[in-house]
Amino acid sequence: MTALLTDRGGRGSRPRGRPELYTSYSSDLALLNTPAKRAGVLAIVAAAFALPFAVSDQVLVLLGTGLAMSVGAIGLNIVTGYAGQVSLGHAFFVGLGAYTAAVLSGDPDGRLVGFGLPMVVWLPAAGLVAGAAGLLVAPLATRLRGLYLAIVTLGLVFLGEHVFREWDSITGGPGVGRDAVQATLFGNSLTAGGAVLSGAQKVYLFALVVLIAAAVPARNLARSGVGRAFAAVRDRDIAAEVIGVSLTKAKLLAFTISSFYAGICGALLYTITRTVEPNSFNLLLSVRFIAMVLIGGAATISGSIMGAMFVTLLPRFTQQVPRFVPFIGQGVTGGGLLTNVELEAMLYGLLIIAFLIFEPRGLFGVWLRVRNYWKGWPFSY
Amino acid sequence: MKQHRQWPRFAIVLAVLALIATGCRDSGTTADVEDVDTGAAPAETTTPADTATDTPTETAADTATPTDTGSPTEGTTPAGDIAFDTGVTEEACPDAVNPDNGCIYLGTLSDLTVGPFAALAVPITDAQKAFWNRVNEDGGIGGFDVNVTEFVRDNQYNPEIHNQEYQAIKNDVLALAQTLGSPTTAAIIEDLNAEGIVAVPASWTSEWAFQDVILESGVNYCFESMNSIDWAVENLEGIETVMAVHYPGDYGGDAAAGARIAAEANGLEFTDVETAPGPDNQSGAISAVASQQPDLVILTTNPTDAGAVVGNTAAQGYQGTFIGTGPSWNKGLLTSPAAEAVQALYLASGPWTWTQESPGRDAMEEALGDVDPNDGYTSGWVWSYPLKAALEQAAENGDLTREGLLAAVSELDDVDYEGMLPDEAGNFVGDPNETAYRGSIVSEPNPEAIVGLDVLQDFFVGPTAEGYDFTQSCYTTTAG
Amino acid sequence: MTRFGQSLIQGLGNGSIYALLALGFVIIYKSTLVISFAQPALMVAGATMVVFLTGSFGLPFFAAVPVAMLLTALLGLIVERSALRPMVGKPVFVVAIITIGVDITIRVVVNRFLGNTIRNFTSPWGLDTLRVGDVFVQQRFLAMMLTTAVVVAALFAFFKYSRTGLAMRATAFDQETALAQGISVGMVFALSWAIAGALAALAGTFVGTGGSIDQQTWIIALKALPAIIIGGLDSVGGAVIGGLVVGVIEALVGTYQPTAAPWLGNNFAVVSPYVVLLIVLLLRPYGLFGTPEVERV
Repeated sequence: MTALLTDRGGRGSRPRGRPELYTSYSSDLALLNTPAKRAGVLAIVAAAFALPFAVSDQVLVLLGTGLAMSVGAIGLNIVTGYAGQVSLGHAFFVGLGAYTAAVLSGDPDGRLVGFGLPMVVWLPAAGLVAGAAGLLVAPLATRLRGLYLAIVTLGLVFLGEHVFREWDSITGGPGVGRDAVQATLFGNSLTAGGAVLSGAQKVYLFALVVLIAAAVPARNLARSGVGRAFAAVRDRDIAAEVIGVSLTKAKLLAFTISSFYAGICGALLYTITRTVEPNSFNLLLSVRFIAMVLIGGAATISGSIMGAMFVTLLPRFTQQVPRFVPFIGQGVTGGGLLTNVELEAMLYGLLIIAFLIFEPRGLFGVWLRVRNYWKGWPFSY
Repeated sequence: MKQHRQWPRFAIVLAVLALIATGCRDSGTTADVEDVDTGAAPAETTTPADTATDTPTETAADTATPTDTGSPTEGTTPAGDIAFDTGVTEEACPDAVNPDNGCIYLGTLSDLTVGPFAALAVPITDAQKAFWNRVNEDGGIGGFDVNVTEFVRDNQYNPEIHNQEYQAIKNDVLALAQTLGSPTTAAIIEDLNAEGIVAVPASWTSEWAFQDVILESGVNYCFESMNSIDWAVENLEGIETVMAVHYPGDYGGDAAAGARIAAEANGLEFTDVETAPGPDNQSGAISAVASQQPDLVILTTNPTDAGAVVGNTAAQGYQGTFIGTGPSWNKGLLTSPAAEAVQALYLASGPWTWTQESPGRDAMEEALGDVDPNDGYTSGWVWSYPLKAALEQAAENGDLTREGLLAAVSELDDVDYEGMLPDEAGNFVGDPNETAYRGSIVSEPNPEAIVGLDVLQDFFVGPTAEGYDFTQSCYTTTAG
Repeated sequence: MTRFGQSLIQGLGNGSIYALLALGFVIIYKSTLVISFAQPALMVAGATMVVFLTGSFGLPFFAAVPVAMLLTALLGLIVERSALRPMVGKPVFVVAIITIGVDITIRVVVNRFLGNTIRNFTSPWGLDTLRVGDVFVQQRFLAMMLTTAVVVAALFAFFKYSRTGLAMRATAFDQETALAQGISVGMVFALSWAIAGALAALAGTFVGTGGSIDQQTWIIALKALPAIIIGGLDSVGGAVIGGLVVGVIEALVGTYQPTAAPWLGNNFAVVSPYVVLLIVLLLRPYGLFGTPEVERV
């Protein structure tokens, strides 16, 4: 595993200034194969771990939510970005994961079904149950393509909403909901304030650890044979079948893995929010995930993370704008062309449009541009 | 060709940087997230205060326990000697009515844009703004003005967003002037209890009577339906079958639960029909009413769907009576295609209405000025009275901290609603079975009246509601 | 039997709303290969225009509706020129998300005009009914079905016999070749959005004839999505049939499911179109009338 992350073999024997000259298999295969990459990733991870001590709790809750959504966005990127199977049904799998976690960790004597199991059980179980559902849904993908598949997965979201609303012994029913997961690790709560860290800090660090544990395998998956099979299915699926890539297997795998990630995201998300309500897993949530994938950059893992953070932090950003714009009425029905809440809603839509028009490759495309500019500097053009 | 595409890219990069910058700027308080299951005292974090905050009047609030950073000590006003900390400042509010007063900040979490209740939420929020403005014009409370406009946030009727926005404004406000929605409030109720933050809900679910930090006013949906059925049995002829047509969830479920209880108490046949929001989703309800022909229908939906049900069933020959709960009514129904049917068959129940005369109503009309009359305004106005009484009591006790406000709430046994609710409605102390107010009204549509309703029966408590043993919320007792 | 008749009529009435919206979707898809999620916003915009034209401007109903249709067509044109023309050639789903953004923006502006109350306009039919035996048939359903039939016939004639219609069909078939033949593909794109806008406005008018318009009315348009898939994404006739099927199924399930199959839960009628969608797609993966994609490797 470490061989995939770092470059153990041949390190001393590579001439300096020639980072892309690989002299051993392990250095060729390594995930972080140049010193620049290693340093960069180390810096980012260190900064992420140090952030809770520099930032206030209310921002940490928001950041923690963003990290949880990143896990889901990675899942969606696997099925939509890498494998090309457009799925609008991500919200359904997120909901499945959230409810599995809530049921498994819930109070056995409470009003609703609960089993009181610890986190080591419910966190993977949330992913596994959602993954199993993805496995069941995948045969649809083998039969349908493109927009047909998208609308069918949309139907899945509506059906899922219906089931969640009606099955109120598990979900508590619409408008009521149930209390979400209480996360504890070795007896220490992961969400309550303790002696050293506050609740929000713990939540953020927990989400960060889960994200790293989820992102590294996903990145490796994308670089492996399975990932190449996904790309083949996305680009030319008939040609892929002709050369021997099993379409059915690839699509099944893509949906299962993606749903697994969605399940983990659901469990994590609702540890942070504290209540789960059946109406939350709707079309809007699915669209948010798609927006994250597209804004971040399809078929990239770091893009998924960037996109998720962007979309989660965007409302906070749009809230600041009305202060600076003169023709916005204060309060909710103040005069002016629009009220500030309406402006926020409009800005949300407009920013997404503008982003996609100017940079269809997403934030990852922006990063690529910046990186290539500096790679060729001072001869960039 | 590449040159002229440079600036949009710069713009994107700048936007991203600005985003990150504003995300980091939004700090500056030492806060912590608490949890009920620890039951421990609030833990102290020693995060150094971050860069400049963006709300001009926000001071570095400190908790009651001493900190070791250089944050200001507990505040006292020069004259009144009232203790305060979170959410209360010595500086005047922005655009203050009384520039010499300090400022009490109250938060509002409402559905202002895309959720299903935005149509009501905006008048509610507006009415509250007018209410507290009037309080300020009368001199404020204990030497402080009250500000409800600085921390208004949109929750899009989503519990997750509600929680996020609550976390964002929590450390800047003393209490919540409005938290709209039951699932959304349920998402933060644990934290409200843990931090002792008083909140005024913008709904009438029976659950609120059992929460100490929630300052509800007005009859809940459960008792409202009970009273409606009792009134109908007494005043209309030939009522033998009752049908409850309602939305899923606590709003509709609470009303349906009450209807079922009253139907059983009166020996009537009861049918429960759940319907989804949306005028195109009413065909099941319309068909049920038109085919089963109940004598009385208790309708708990929104105005558009109520119009669809009433209009379409009348078009199919239905002649029974509809009694719709408060939020199902809108004056626009009297100019809609269903107007004739509504005037002939529809009655509105409710916790109160604009048409009822009282000093409070006159004050509200004066404060609101020229608006399109809507009972959302009435509700927002009336809901604010208990919080005002609590703040005044806390100021009298000399303690405008969160603990002080909560203590004041536990002393509230006589809130003055200025005639908009009867005197017995103002008691928040003691067992909900004794103190929860059970009276509702019944009105009939009238195009000339101010919100389109004329009061037929002023505040009354029917025999079923009177005798009901109120020990838990109605919706879960008869959960379906 | 009367219940069945009532539900059928109601379903056909609602179905014509969905059929018109689905037609708009399909016309845009056929010409531009983009699925537009902006139809709900155009529908509400059209309905709001009728409200104001008959209310504040005092136009009679039969004058207000064509004017509203024209104005909404103009709106569709503006949307196409500003938001979608720069995106020609970009991946399909990016463009779909852009249409969602457009939908949000337009709806915010329209909600500003709608306000917090319910809006109405007076139609010549209101909720008047005529009795056919035991069944109460609402006049507006008859008007809706008739109008839909006339509009569909007009569209068919337009596509078959007029030059512009031919140009649109050619573009839908193969954009590059049409361009090579001298057809202004840009004009075709603009025209398809304009037609979709007009159809959406007409659908919005139907929604408002028997009820009220408020800020939640746009959700009705989402029902057209299963309609377009059931009928087939690129089939104009399929869109109409899909819309009617969705309307009828929804009405029948709403009437009979609570008594016949209560275990399916309350309000199963809301998701029944999607169940039908799944069944249809399992049998015919391209919808009832869609053409299977032929892909060259």
